[in-house]
Amino acid sequence: MLNFFSSSNIYSVIEKILRFINSIFFLILIIGLTFALVLSPPDYIQGDSVRIMYVHVPSAWIGLACFSLITLLSVLNFIFKIKNFYFINKSIAPIGLLFTCLAIVTGALWGQPTWGTWWAWDARLTSMLVLMLFYIFYILVFKLLNKKELIIKISSIIAIVGSINLPIIKYSVEWWTTLHQPASIKITGSSSIHSEMLLPLMVMLLVFLLYAALIFLMKYKTEIIRIKKKNIRRY
Amino acid sequence: MNIISNFITMNGYGAYVWLSFSVVLISCAVVYFKTRKTLKKYEQEFLVELQTLTLKEKNKALENSKVARQILATSSKTN
Repeated sequence: MLNFFSSSNIYSVIEKILRFINSIFFLILIIGLTFALVLSPPDYIQGDSVRIMYVHVPSAWIGLACFSLITLLSVLNFIFKIKNFYFINKSIAPIGLLFTCLAIVTGALWGQPTWGTWWAWDARLTSMLVLMLFYIFYILVFKLLNKKELIIKISSIIAIVGSINLPIIKYSVEWWTTLHQPASIKITGSSSIHSEMLLPLMVMLLVFLLYAALIFLMKYKTEIIRIKKKNIRRY
Repeated sequence: MNIISNFITMNGYGAYVWLSFSVVLISCAVVYFKTRKTLKKYEQEFLVELQTLTLKEKNKALENSKVARQILATSSKTN
């Protein structure tokens, strides 16, 4: 069983998944863009500016999900010392940073026509900015430090401290009066978004998830090659 | 004609909508090509390192490392 999780086996599984994602990605991207830009209806208040939601919301979700995963794996790595988690976290962090930045930029582009401002120092926007800073600190640890043990220690501390920000982001719209609207989609309870907008949103989420998986697998594959290169003379 | 014009202008929100989608698509494309370039660079470096080994070492490395065999196979497919 443990043999299955060896880097050799993981490498061949990654190859297969990458081929599969590459073969379906453009088709799903075209479907997603068609739904988001053509087929979905304009909002009765926000008009066509609501289409920004189809790139803004999945970006924010993935930005948050990546940091949650990094925190979880950091805690598990602290307890079980699984070296693969170090490489997984190193590969996930840039993806999380990318999507957090995209959520902030597209949020500003959505804010201007709907709120009349690009930016406001309100709870949701500020906590997303804090998340972006945590991602930057986290990535800098890998870039600036050389000792693996020290990297694991400091990056884990950043991840665990940064995770305090995650519920703040989630509940900021309920705890404080903010410009940002409350969540329209709820896992528990009924969502206030119409199915004609929910479907394109879910398709775009799938596109973003496939893209995130693609980048993660390429980065993880690079890490495996780097280790194998280092150990090539030991065979 | 009116439909196309409405699609482009998005009833006055075109600049915001198109800019948002463009920023996302361009950023994602840049990250994708940069990541792919780095991956290819490491694959090449691995192959160069493999070439520096003696025939005996190289055979041993290929025999014991599935990853090495796969990288070699991928590179011979693409070359």
